Amino acid sequence: MAFTPKTAACSGRINAVTLGTGDAAIVLGGQNVLPFHTFDGPIENPPKIGVEISDLADAWTAPGLVDFYAGCSTMAQRAQKAASMAGADFLALNFEGADPNGANRPVSHCVADAVAVAEAVNLPIVIMGCKNMEKDAELFTKISEALQGKNILVMSAKNEDYKTVGAAAALAYGQKVCAETADDINLAKQLNIMLKQLSVKPEQLVMNIGTAAVGYGYEYVASTLDRIRLAALTQGDADLQMPIIAPVSTDTWTVKESSATEEDEPAWGNAEERAIHMEISTAAANLTGGADAVILRHPAAVAAVSKFIAELI
Amino acid sequence: MKVTFQIENAAPVIAECGAGDNLLELARRANVAIDAPCSGNGSCGKCRVKLLEGQLDSLPSRHISEAEYAEGWRLSCCSRVMSDCLVLVPDIASAYRSRMKTADLSSPKEIAIFEEAKAQLLGSGIDFSNNFMALELMMDPPTLDDTMPDNERLIRAIRAKLGVEQVTIAFCVMRKLAATLRQNNFYVCVKGVREGDSFRCMEICAPMDQTLVGCAVDIGTTTVTLVLTDLTTGAILAKGSSGNGQIRYGADVINRIIQQGRPGGVEKLRHAIIAETLTPLMQTLCAESGVRPESVLRMAVAANTTMSHLLLGLDARSIRMEPYIPSFFSWEGLRAGDLGLYANPEAPVILAPNIGSYVGGDITAGALATGIWDEDAMSLFIDLGTNGEIVFGNREFLMACACSAGPAFEGGDISCGMRATDGAVETVSIDADSMEPTIHVIGGGKPVGICGSGIIDLVAELYRTGIIDPRGNFVREGSRVKRNAHGMGRYVLAFPEESATGWEVALTEVDIDNFIRAKGAIYSAIDTLLQSVGMDDGCIEKVCVAGGIGSGINMRHAVSIGMLPDLAPDTFCYVGNTSLTGAYALVMSDSAVEKCAEVAANMTYVELSTCPGYMDAFVAACFIPHTDSNRFPHSCQEV
Repeated sequence: MAFTPKTAACSGRINAVTLGTGDAAIVLGGQNVLPFHTFDGPIENPPKIGVEISDLADAWTAPGLVDFYAGCSTMAQRAQKAASMAGADFLALNFEGADPNGANRPVSHCVADAVAVAEAVNLPIVIMGCKNMEKDAELFTKISEALQGKNILVMSAKNEDYKTVGAAAALAYGQKVCAETADDINLAKQLNIMLKQLSVKPEQLVMNIGTAAVGYGYEYVASTLDRIRLAALTQGDADLQMPIIAPVSTDTWTVKESSATEEDEPAWGNAEERAIHMEISTAAANLTGGADAVILRHPAAVAAVSKFIAELI
Repeated sequence: MKVTFQIENAAPVIAECGAGDNLLELARRANVAIDAPCSGNGSCGKCRVKLLEGQLDSLPSRHISEAEYAEGWRLSCCSRVMSDCLVLVPDIASAYRSRMKTADLSSPKEIAIFEEAKAQLLGSGIDFSNNFMALELMMDPPTLDDTMPDNERLIRAIRAKLGVEQVTIAFCVMRKLAATLRQNNFYVCVKGVREGDSFRCMEICAPMDQTLVGCAVDIGTTTVTLVLTDLTTGAILAKGSSGNGQIRYGADVINRIIQQGRPGGVEKLRHAIIAETLTPLMQTLCAESGVRPESVLRMAVAANTTMSHLLLGLDARSIRMEPYIPSFFSWEGLRAGDLGLYANPEAPVILAPNIGSYVGGDITAGALATGIWDEDAMSLFIDLGTNGEIVFGNREFLMACACSAGPAFEGGDISCGMRATDGAVETVSIDADSMEPTIHVIGGGKPVGICGSGIIDLVAELYRTGIIDPRGNFVREGSRVKRNAHGMGRYVLAFPEESATGWEVALTEVDIDNFIRAKGAIYSAIDTLLQSVGMDDGCIEKVCVAGGIGSGINMRHAVSIGMLPDLAPDTFCYVGNTSLTGAYALVMSDSAVEKCAEVAANMTYVELSTCPGYMDAFVAACFIPHTDSNRFPHSCQEV
């Protein structure tokens, strides 16, 4: 008798959330199996990779990145360049320059940048704020309004501002919203419940359940990912069935392993190589743990992670 | 320098002091009661006083607005005396002492609960009998031919009456032996205890006074309750309660332990509980019932581990620090005279056994009183207070744990919170459409603040009417929902003109947050305790809720906010002050003492801080009703 492998598809299913429009639109989630368990059931929408772009031209100093974006003076030009990377599924626009304690760029300039990017490329767009709650509220609202119909994802709505962000981005302008919590399954679930109570539809929601670079308390992220995915898939917990997005690059590029210069740490080798490795390792850990999308910065990391996904699917 | 404390509804008190003395410390020294749940570190804002004349050097406080500061309001703990002062102590600052509402058998409902508990204990084989007895003795007066000394004469008379071998006479009896015998012409009453073949003579008096009195004491962190009982018939002779005098040294056990550790602290705290609380209370009760203190022959004390240490003057510091070791769990041999209690100095004082640093004699006595140790049904026994203690099990096993609910149930950590005294809002309902509240105030006057049961009602009603979301944030707007400059919402229960103080009575988002943590602590402790034995809510057949704030609790509301498990309403019963009932059983009955020791020995203490799942369960429970709403099918929002 021929050997028939036992399959173990789960009773619960991750919501399928569409970002972007037209041919370039992508779907996050939709599977009812554990990460990469294609032997248990089909994974129609493999994990996606977003490429991070900063609104500040000189934000990044790694030679490889400087070379890659050489000649690009505007955010739209950098977006076009980023979109050309093989494996780039969407773009993540990081408006770090809007921070009132930093460059304090006016919201109107940021909106103009976002509009220009949307006109220049057709990939789906994710908006990352400057982490200043008041500025982000305005930034998210105005960009959601300007990019109405583009089906963007706004990162992020937190416990403190979910009402403003949820109401503006999702309810008023029909965009997708990312619910951000810090490494706690219960807090993640609570925020989803409150966003749903605000009348945001489950298929408009994505989660950022908290991130960390590997080696920096990543085990908390790992355990939270595991528990959230198991609750969603095996227990059918509808309040946790949102796809998960992991903004990897913003964490990995700031840690010492990535930022220490070769003069300071001669034994560690090439700084850019280290940063790429940190990005790849963290992304791989997130993807195998259950993330449906990762955001990366370096073209080499995008290429490696893209290959990683293709090999495992 | 001197400070005159003008106390509302009481005579003024004048205290001498030096320049720069702390006003709250001075008030403590002068025995002026000012409620300071935070023990005077400026965090609770309850110790407000009004400066009428003179100068105080006061630190600014978030609890006092600029307008109030201009009117003279100061926090006494943050004020130093700079000149002769006249200070007004508002009634609410001292009301905690005298008019605390507590379960002290003063209402027919409480008496009924008490009688029911007694009947149940009888049914479980606890007979309310003891070996104390009064002997009426008629002796031949001595003559030149009969020169036996008084003590031998007495011993012979007792031997002849009881047929015992050995008779001992206590010193307190020796001291008045000669006078009493002669005053009564050698016809006297002797009171004492018989143990097998011996008799200990503890009191001698005129032949008509044959009452044998026992005294049951419940020492809570916040309130002290006391009952005098007839050791022969079991009848209650007198009962009373008052605030624990140690309150001014902090609202919770941790603050008290810290205070005890300061120089002179052991004596201060012991004085506060014995001389300032127990003695006046016993004097009043003895006077009321016509009992001489010498007739109080036995006492039983049910108190949490810290309170029993502070009562005895034992160093409690190690209870607070890892690995949390108390001086004793159970200890015998204490006599009333050792502590200078207002009773017969020979009277044995039974201490209900503790089983953990944070599960004390109040819980073992309480568990004894509920009778859950003699039932087949799986019962949950919850004692709600600053510390929430939980016992689960039946005749086969008992598990116990304690969680720190914080002072929210007693009004602490809540901006308009207060203990359940006059002026406290104790029940609330809100109209879903108009959002207008209907309130009931203890004492019937205008509201001063909100007590624990009122907060439970208010949060449940705010949630039901959709005014707050499951996180406790305000999501509906209306005339009663106000916001401050930072956008923080609050629900106004009484506008300034509707309140007794002229200040608004309101519940803010921060208050609700604190309260959600308190209710989350209780529910997650229940959850974790059940999980530790592989059970869940569905296994609970009976829930006994005890504690001073329990009487006012609306069980339906407590379930709808996710504080108690969602079970059929008839599962819940309010069992009153079980600690006092247990102490009563201990003082009355030798078999209860034995049984209580057995219950304590069979109770397994679960230390929640070492349970890996507790923190998770706690975060899950810090949501209304719960992150897993399937656990609370009967909790719903109507708007």
